[in-house]
Formats: sequence, structure tokens, C-alpha cells
Amino acid sequence: MGKVVYTYISYSIFLDEMFNIIAVDISGRHRIEDHYLMVCAAVAASVNPDHVEKVNQINIRSFRTDRAPDVQMVVKMIEETVSEMHFEGTVVTEPGDMYNRPQWIIDSMFPMDFKYEESLSERRCMEIAHHVSLSARKFLLRELDTG
Amino acid sequence: MKRAILVKRNDPRSEDHKNELQMTELEELAGSAGYTVVAEVTQTKHPDRKYQIGRGKVEELAQLVRDVNPDKVIFHNQLSTMQVYNLSGICRCEVIDKFQLILEIFATRATTHRSKLQVELARLEYELPKARAIVSILKKEERPGFMGLGGYEDSYAQDVKNRISRIRDELKNMERDRDSLRNFRHSRGFSLVAMAGYTNAGKSTLFNSLVDESRPARDMLFTTLVPATRSLNVAGREVLLTDTVGFIEELPHWMVDAFRSTLNEIFFADIVLLVVDSGEPLETIRRKLRVCHETMWEQLQDVSIVTVFNKADLLTREELEARMLGLGYLAPNPVAVSAITGSGIHELKREIRRHLPKWDFVKVSLPLSEEGMSMLSWLFGEGVVHSVDYSDTIDVDLEARESIISKVRPFTDK
Repeated sequence: MGKVVYTYISYSIFLDEMFNIIAVDISGRHRIEDHYLMVCAAVAASVNPDHVEKVNQINIRSFRTDRAPDVQMVVKMIEETVSEMHFEGTVVTEPGDMYNRPQWIIDSMFPMDFKYEESLSERRCMEIAHHVSLSARKFLLRELDTG
Repeated sequence: MKRAILVKRNDPRSEDHKNELQMTELEELAGSAGYTVVAEVTQTKHPDRKYQIGRGKVEELAQLVRDVNPDKVIFHNQLSTMQVYNLSGICRCEVIDKFQLILEIFATRATTHRSKLQVELARLEYELPKARAIVSILKKEERPGFMGLGGYEDSYAQDVKNRISRIRDELKNMERDRDSLRNFRHSRGFSLVAMAGYTNAGKSTLFNSLVDESRPARDMLFTTLVPATRSLNVAGREVLLTDTVGFIEELPHWMVDAFRSTLNEIFFADIVLLVVDSGEPLETIRRKLRVCHETMWEQLQDVSIVTVFNKADLLTREELEARMLGLGYLAPNPVAVSAITGSGIHELKREIRRHLPKWDFVKVSLPLSEEGMSMLSWLFGEGVVHSVDYSDTIDVDLEARESIISKVRPFTDK
């Protein structure tokens, strides 16, 4: 059974509670020629269960490897991207990003709190992270082509 | 009563607890469709391309079918056309999967023309990708030779496509009528409140309790298939409350599409009452809430959600608080209610009132005349009159929507 971890902003748990999360998405997990060019986007936000209260910071990092990413590599990429942020929060990803491994296994691999997306607001933040990582990667590819 | 054998293939490394819950849900679904479960078969294995479960397990299942003679074998896992064909051949019994079972429930309960069309659409959309394979398998014996019967397969698939397009058109027309009704209600100042939640959470019982109705409410999955709307007075404000069809885990996207017009009641609402059965274990509630969030998240925009912890009478105060605490991140604006005993209904109405679209407050001074009195009577009908003071003029404390306030603007205090 997965545990639920959150950084509480307000003391009240029943009314107007807000949580700090960092939604992370990685684009480009497919081979291009002889390598993988990935972009990891992390969105730090304060959320309520049903809406995003505020996006605090967005951080993007690119990674290039010769072999297909496995879970350990994905965890490392997320850790590096999140470590550059000035905000703390529970790292949230889609289960597919972690190859659908049970949440408790992935949680044990992270030094910070981790969980899969569940609520409406977490899914919205994931959507933002997805658009950011995808756009950033497209931009990067275009720059590399023209450069 | 019809008899059924339930079969579930579990993924290796999947959680036992989750598998048990899914099997229990399949039992409940079978019960809702009128089946008595006579046996259950499970296997932990990666999917088999030919049979979904392993060949040895299929032999075991075939023996079980010979022993207990069920009407159907129901799989939890989605089956391909070829798997259905192979399994039916070996077991000598009709084999269906969970989605066909849900369609069966919907088909037996569909009463209105619209819901019958929706069920038909869902069935056809489910069948379309398999249409060519079905004909190919059925006509296997008749193939005359090279390229034989290719035309048959294509024409059947085309028939299905044509029928889908006809039903879509018809449903679109119905939806247009419903949209205009919804807009009319909005323009008349009615706020829309929709009840959403996992199937069998107690939505219909709560609906009956709130609007004093007697719609069918049973301890069964998918009792409600046709949305019903009734008016409800919430501290002076008239709202329209809609009872809707419940969600279920892994509801396939084609089914969500087919029932989009039903789900639109939720997506166009001002407030969504997210009903949960608080009598269930914490992990079960969490799983069901997650399904609700997953189903709604893409369509809901700027809507207030009030989480109703129904069946609160089944728990002690400490247990209830523990559930609310544990689910705080999935349950916005929680209210504990018992639809059966009526406790918490007042608090729920107060919470609905708090989230209704804001109306403006104005002080209006109407002339003390016949015309003024008739205007006051009109204001009672269109807004919330908080106080009336009769002096040289009729002084009214009014709360109303913008369109009403603009009409009484000449009488407002400058």
C-alpha cells in the first residue's frame, strides 16, 4: 500500500489546505540516430485538491545518453532537475514515467518524498510539465539542427 | 438467475490488495447484471496472446465449465476477438469480458431513447475494431479461395461505421436541445449542481434525501443510467441538482465518449458534489476517488468541488476524521453526510451555498405604490430578499444576479 506524503502549508487539513508539489515530466525517451536526447521539466506549484493555486518555479534540464533510460537513470535525471529548484515539495510523476513500478519501490529510491499523480491539480501540473518538456525539446532539436 | 464463472489474470508484480478489490468489483458487476457467481479462477501471468490466461489454466477452466455448467464465463481482462473465439471453442460456453458485462448492464437498464442510443453507440464502437476479425472468423469455413470474402469483411465494417455515424448525428441533435435547455436554465438564474462519484457511492440516495424524491436507489452498481434533474432551494437560492451515472475503474475511452452527453451534466455544472462511500476502507475510497479525478480532470474547468462523505452513520467520529485526514489531498471541501438518517444535510446545503456563483448585494428603494409592490413580488421570485422595510419607500436588501440588478438600477441607492 503506497504511503501518502505531503508538505503542508496550512495547518488546517479540512479547509483550504494547500500542498507543495513538484510535477516532473521527461520528453524524448526514444532513440534518435545513435543516442537519446531527453528534456526533463519540473514544475513547482502550490495546489489544492481541485486546482493549481500558484506555479512557483519551472526548471528544465537536458540529458544525452547512449543507452535507453532505465528506472535508475530516470530517478537520477529527476533528482538532478529538482535539486536546482528553490522550492521544496513532493515529487509527482505519471506511473508510466517509472515504467509502472509500484509507488513504494520508486519512493524508496528518492531522497525526497515521491508519489504518482492522483488529484485533479496534480494532473494539471503534470500537463504543464509535459508541455514544457516537449516544447523545450523541440526547441533544442531545432537549435541543434540549425547550429 | 443466470450463473457465471469469473476469471482474472493478474499481472506479475501487481499488488495483491488491488487485485482482490478488482475481483470484488467484478463480482458486484456480475451481481448487478443478474448473475450468480458459481466459481472464480485467477492466474498470475503475463498475458497469453491466444487465450489471455495460460493454456493449462484454460483446460482447467473448461473442466470447471463442464462441472458447474454456467451461462457465461466473464473475464476481468479485456479480450481480443481471437481470444474470445479460442476460449469459447475450448470451454464450449459464451465468454465475455468486463466491458461487455458493463454494456450488458447498461443495455438492460436503458429505458429512454437517448440512453438506448448511447448503449448502441458504445457497443458499436467496441465492435468496430473487431468487425473485420469477427466476420473473418465466422466465415472461415466458407472461404472459396484466394482473396475470398474480403468484400464481406469490409462491407460489415462499413455497416458498423455508417450506423455509428447515424447514431452520433442523432445524439448530437439531442445534445443541442439539452445544451439550449441548460443555457436557458443558467440565464434564468439557476445554478447547476451535479452529483458525481464512483458507482454505488450512494448518489441516488443522497439525491432523494436532498430533493425529497423517490428515485430507485439500490445497493448495486449502475442503478442510475439516466441523469435526473430536480430543483433544490439552498438558503434562498434555487439550484438544479442532477443525479448522474457513476464512474468505474478503467472505463474505456470509447465508453466515456458514448456517455459524454451524460457526463456533460458534470462538466457543465457550477458545483460538483463528489460523493464517496465513507463506510469503505480508506484504501478503497482512495482508489475510487483517484478514478473520479482521472475521469473528470480533463473536462472540469473552474468548477468548485464539494466532497460528500456519505454513509457517515456507519462510522464513529474518530474513524470519519481519520478518513477525511487521510484523503485531504483528494477530497476538496469535505462534508460528512448520512443520506439515510439525514445528518449533515444542512451543512452540505451550507457548503453548496458557499460555492455558488457570487451574486451582488444592493439596497433598493422602491416607490410605495402598486407598481413598487409588484416589483417587490418579482424580486422575491428572481433573487434573495434579505430584508424589507416599509417607510415612505419600500427599502429592500437584495442579493441577485447581474441581469436582475441592472433592471432595478434606477431604484438603487446612489
